[in-house]
Amino acid sequence: MKETAMFDDRLFRPGAAASADERERPSFRAALNAAMREEMRRDPTIFQMGEDIALASPFGVTSGLAAEFGRERIRDAPCSEVAVLGAAVGAAIGGMRPIVEFQFGDFLSVAVDQLTHQAAMLRYLTGGQVKVPLVLRLPCGAGQGAGSQHSQSLYSWFVHAPGIKVALPATALDAKGLMKTAIRDDNPVLVFEHKQLYRSRWPVPAEYADPDFVIPFGQAAIRRAGRDVTVVATLTLLHHALAVAEALADEGISVEVIDPRTLVPFDTETVVQSVRRTGRLLVVDEAYLPCGIQAEVIALVVERAFDALKTAPRRLGNPGVPVPFAPPLEAAVIPDGRRIAEVIRALMNG
Amino acid sequence: MTTAPLSDERVALLRTMMLIRAVENAWAEAYFAEEITGIPPSLSTGQEAVAAGACAALADGDFVFTTHRGQAPQIARGLDPRRVLAELYCRRDGYNKGKSYHVTDVSRGVIGMGGVVPAQIPIAGGMALAQKLRGSDRVSLAFFGDGASNEGAFHETANLAAMWTLPLILLCENNGYCITQSVSEAIKAPSIASRAAAYGLPGLYVDGNDVLAVRDAVAEAVAHARAGKGATLIEARTERLAGHLCHDRQGYRPAGEVDAAWRGCPIERLRSALQEAGILDADAHARLQAGIAAQVADAVAFARASPFPASHEAFEDLWA
Repeated sequence: MKETAMFDDRLFRPGAAASADERERPSFRAALNAAMREEMRRDPTIFQMGEDIALASPFGVTSGLAAEFGRERIRDAPCSEVAVLGAAVGAAIGGMRPIVEFQFGDFLSVAVDQLTHQAAMLRYLTGGQVKVPLVLRLPCGAGQGAGSQHSQSLYSWFVHAPGIKVALPATALDAKGLMKTAIRDDNPVLVFEHKQLYRSRWPVPAEYADPDFVIPFGQAAIRRAGRDVTVVATLTLLHHALAVAEALADEGISVEVIDPRTLVPFDTETVVQSVRRTGRLLVVDEAYLPCGIQAEVIALVVERAFDALKTAPRRLGNPGVPVPFAPPLEAAVIPDGRRIAEVIRALMNG
Repeated sequence: MTTAPLSDERVALLRTMMLIRAVENAWAEAYFAEEITGIPPSLSTGQEAVAAGACAALADGDFVFTTHRGQAPQIARGLDPRRVLAELYCRRDGYNKGKSYHVTDVSRGVIGMGGVVPAQIPIAGGMALAQKLRGSDRVSLAFFGDGASNEGAFHETANLAAMWTLPLILLCENNGYCITQSVSEAIKAPSIASRAAAYGLPGLYVDGNDVLAVRDAVAEAVAHARAGKGATLIEARTERLAGHLCHDRQGYRPAGEVDAAWRGCPIERLRSALQEAGILDADAHARLQAGIAAQVADAVAFARASPFPASHEAFEDLWA
């Protein structure tokens, strides 16, 4: 089977975020950049903090923003995740709308208290007296040999915690539309950005250029319609699943592929309705399987559509080892098209 | 005649400290009478001068972020004792609608925190950043304890505040103990204030049982911040007289230490000074005391009469 070749397997490819030739087919990172640029032009309370975001954005997402908005609004922060995320919480309470980049999303582990107990709980604890509108950008995902502490997809941790919205854009259009919604939201929002997607290029509709184009949270996208199997997939694995669906059509298997786009809020209804049509479910994601988002999606479906299931739902993910450094080992723990196809065939025979 | 001369700022500070202690004593009585359950009250007994002095140096629009021991700044910033006690009784009319031990009133610039020891420090830094970015001359003040001064969140924020010239006052309320551990077993440096030099910040050490000295030190830091000169670290050395939480009998402290500390009680210290100066005689003090007792009795009655929140309210206020 042909693997999807569009993804960047090389780490750190800086450069201008939106070159002229990206107008027709913007890159994922240019879409994020455009969303932030447009929102910062619209709303002077938006500002950004992060390591190296002003001078040499490691993944090129914030390139050029400091030149337009200055170093007060695009603030290079010292290596102090707790103070920076806490500063975002305090600034948000104080009427600003901060955007924070952690260079690798894994580093959120350093500052979990500020997210889960402070940003996420302060509105509740104060009886609704404060709001905490902040966006935390978290480069994530495997496939670039970045090592165990720079390659994880940790959103399951934060879906588990109350009070945090979680967005997982998988295309340039979604990157722009979901980022703008995240910035306009009055709650803490995590945007997980798969590092393999940053330089990928996408055809976009005309509405992409509209500064008021947004994608609401909680609306899954059916990326491909099918009759036999429902596959829920995120980030790069969404595109692997779509490639598999295309290939399996030749075998007479009709696969429906759903991109949830946000995990909190989660569009349970679209997935349940799909499974009611197909009777079969696979959830595929890079997250660790134990207590992972895959299990949560399956539970949501089983509780509501057990009667519609023709066979036991399946899940694919990292079975529970650190994402290895060596490429062959890394490939061994992250789902790929071959394994997605195997499980879909097994579901058809189940 | 005569009313207590509240127009004298020193008498007003004494009254604030007396009100703090009276409100907290009512809270503790409610706990010991099992009117309220859960985490025992964390009393500021002996530490009232820190909050009273600090808040006297602040103005409208300034923000404070409290510790777990946060009732003193709430009262010092003028929150209504009725709604403070209603919150501590977990009632619907509390400031936080019964949702937290850490009373908050955004309209008076009090953010109640302290569930996780250092967490309020970086958030206070963020409020200072917001004030600076908005071009305001308002300041943000983080109360924290000697225990929190060993947390990374404090060190990171002190450095960030220095680098970004934030209008922040880092007010360390050193009461000598982090639960059972004495400061001498937790901090090698000669003082917490001395750490300021390492961050490139001014550091002030003040007698935290002298309310006027605290007020003056914080006023100096506030003026520094309002002038755009950035943050200050202040260590106010005080004494914890009533334990970590009110059930704590402090048996781990050396014999006689607490009794000796009571002799430095900031309320009695100011009262006797005002008496000696001829500003507040015994009768005037008694009237002050009686007025506070009546106010607190009314607050307790209000708290008791307030209903508990309805169960559906458990699911409200999570999302903006």
